[in-house]
Amino acid sequence: MTSVARILAVWLTPAALLAVPAAVATSAADGLWLGLTLLLVPLITLGLSARGRDAATAGGRGALFPVVILLLAVGVLLWANIALAGDVAVWLGRPRWQGIAITAALGWLLTAWRPLRKTAPLLLAIALIAAAVPLLQIGWASGLGPIAAWDRVATQSSFRFPPSSSWVTTGRELGLARGRAPLVFDEVHRLTAPAGGTVRARTLDGTRLADIEWTLSPGQVITLRAGDELSRRPSLRLRFEADKHVPGAPPSGVAWADDRPRRWLPRVGLLVTLLVGSAALLRAGLVVRLSRDGVGFVAGGLLIALLWAEAWAVYAMLNAPDVLLGGITIERLLELPAPTLFAEPWHRTLQGVLLVAALAAFLASTVALRERLGALDPTGGGEIGRDPGLWAGLFGGAALASLWPVDPWALTLLALGGAGCALGPATLAPPRRAVLGTTAGVFGLVVFAAGAALQLRGAGGGLLGAVAAYPALAGAPAGALLLWLGRTRR
Amino acid sequence: MRPVTHRTAGVVLLSLLLAGFLLLGALPNHVSSIRVGGLSLLWWYGGVLAPVIGVLVAIRWLADPLPTSRDE
Repeated sequence: MTSVARILAVWLTPAALLAVPAAVATSAADGLWLGLTLLLVPLITLGLSARGRDAATAGGRGALFPVVILLLAVGVLLWANIALAGDVAVWLGRPRWQGIAITAALGWLLTAWRPLRKTAPLLLAIALIAAAVPLLQIGWASGLGPIAAWDRVATQSSFRFPPSSSWVTTGRELGLARGRAPLVFDEVHRLTAPAGGTVRARTLDGTRLADIEWTLSPGQVITLRAGDELSRRPSLRLRFEADKHVPGAPPSGVAWADDRPRRWLPRVGLLVTLLVGSAALLRAGLVVRLSRDGVGFVAGGLLIALLWAEAWAVYAMLNAPDVLLGGITIERLLELPAPTLFAEPWHRTLQGVLLVAALAAFLASTVALRERLGALDPTGGGEIGRDPGLWAGLFGGAALASLWPVDPWALTLLALGGAGCALGPATLAPPRRAVLGTTAGVFGLVVFAAGAALQLRGAGGGLLGAVAAYPALAGAPAGALLLWLGRTRR
Repeated sequence: MRPVTHRTAGVVLLSLLLAGFLLLGALPNHVSSIRVGGLSLLWWYGGVLAPVIGVLVAIRWLADPLPTSRDE
């Protein structure tokens, strides 16, 4: 049971799982592909059985290279999830550091306090129950099952601000709608600045573009027209108009539902990243043997997580379409126990239950990631997974880095892709000589880093764009090629 | 050459389930958008059928074989 819980908790960190509903709400086809790959790829990895002796030697049990790589990957995964906690705190109106400090301190406490070290199954069970309760409550309050809710969303003519949305009633700071791109309006929209401030917009007058700046007194209103673009000033609080189309949302439910997967390369890039990433996280240096019951629990757990994520996205689009303002980010999914369905105190109570679920899932992941790392250290009795000083440094570093907002899903992909390129090929096809696996891993990692650097420079479309978005698309084949060449030149 | 095991069959089936999603989306005339029973075909496949079949495939083919008893 422990290894089943470990597999689930290592793979389904909150940042990874919540990326699915966020992706589904943004683009139905992309989100479905992400969910399907998150479900099936770990099963494929577990099914690709390396011979035990090879897996334990070439994969690196006891060797330094995989320990270093996985330590870095775990650090980046912790960073992603602690940064997400900071985002959630900001969304709830609290200082960013509070969310970061609570999650990092609790995660480290589980390391330092010996009786709490084997709690991953219990924490996962708490996360499951605490995530299911709000979803069932939302389904009941909506009066629609998931399929009927999808049908309702897919036939909506537009995604509009509900009158009870906090963007409409009290207004919110534009900084909460993360992203740099301006908000583009597609109908006349009256905006109110409750506390005043400076508003910048690019307006379309006939065929002429004009950059205009207004200095508004508290309560003053401006009107933007179709085609106008509002610049995002983080500290500016604005109130939007009820029943108007949410800027950044899909044009209609039909457009969202009928979105088809068109671009192959990014999808293959995601698949390769998750495949080699799961090989590194779940299999490198380990011989995983699962009974039929064990496989059933892992697969069933992944299925439940996927169905939950899909249903959450659909109910969010139905009841809280304002989460789509300016493009959805993960922490905004917390808005779903929407004021349209639940008055206070139930709104806050359900949000609290959801926070308990996310925290329990995070803590389960920290326990599982540490156990995973400890399993690579047989000579030290797994000490690396229990060293309070080492983990204090890891949690502290991740917490400090999280003070600056980052995209948790991008960090998760970075961790999976990097670790996957370094360890994935040698894990899936173990060479007889460990040095060959290490050489291929270093080469794959260098190619991955080059691809990631390309991302910073901003690459265009096509193959180069796909490699920039998913550097594992180049790094993993490069490492595998070197591995193959090393074998054939024995 | 390594023998083809029941696990290999499971891995191939799971890979085919993934490939099926890409193929369904690539079909012409918006076939994947056809609605059946309240959901589009793409959603039935990617959101319900492929995941459920994937779980069944995993349970049937991916488990390690039980250790053989001494009597056998």
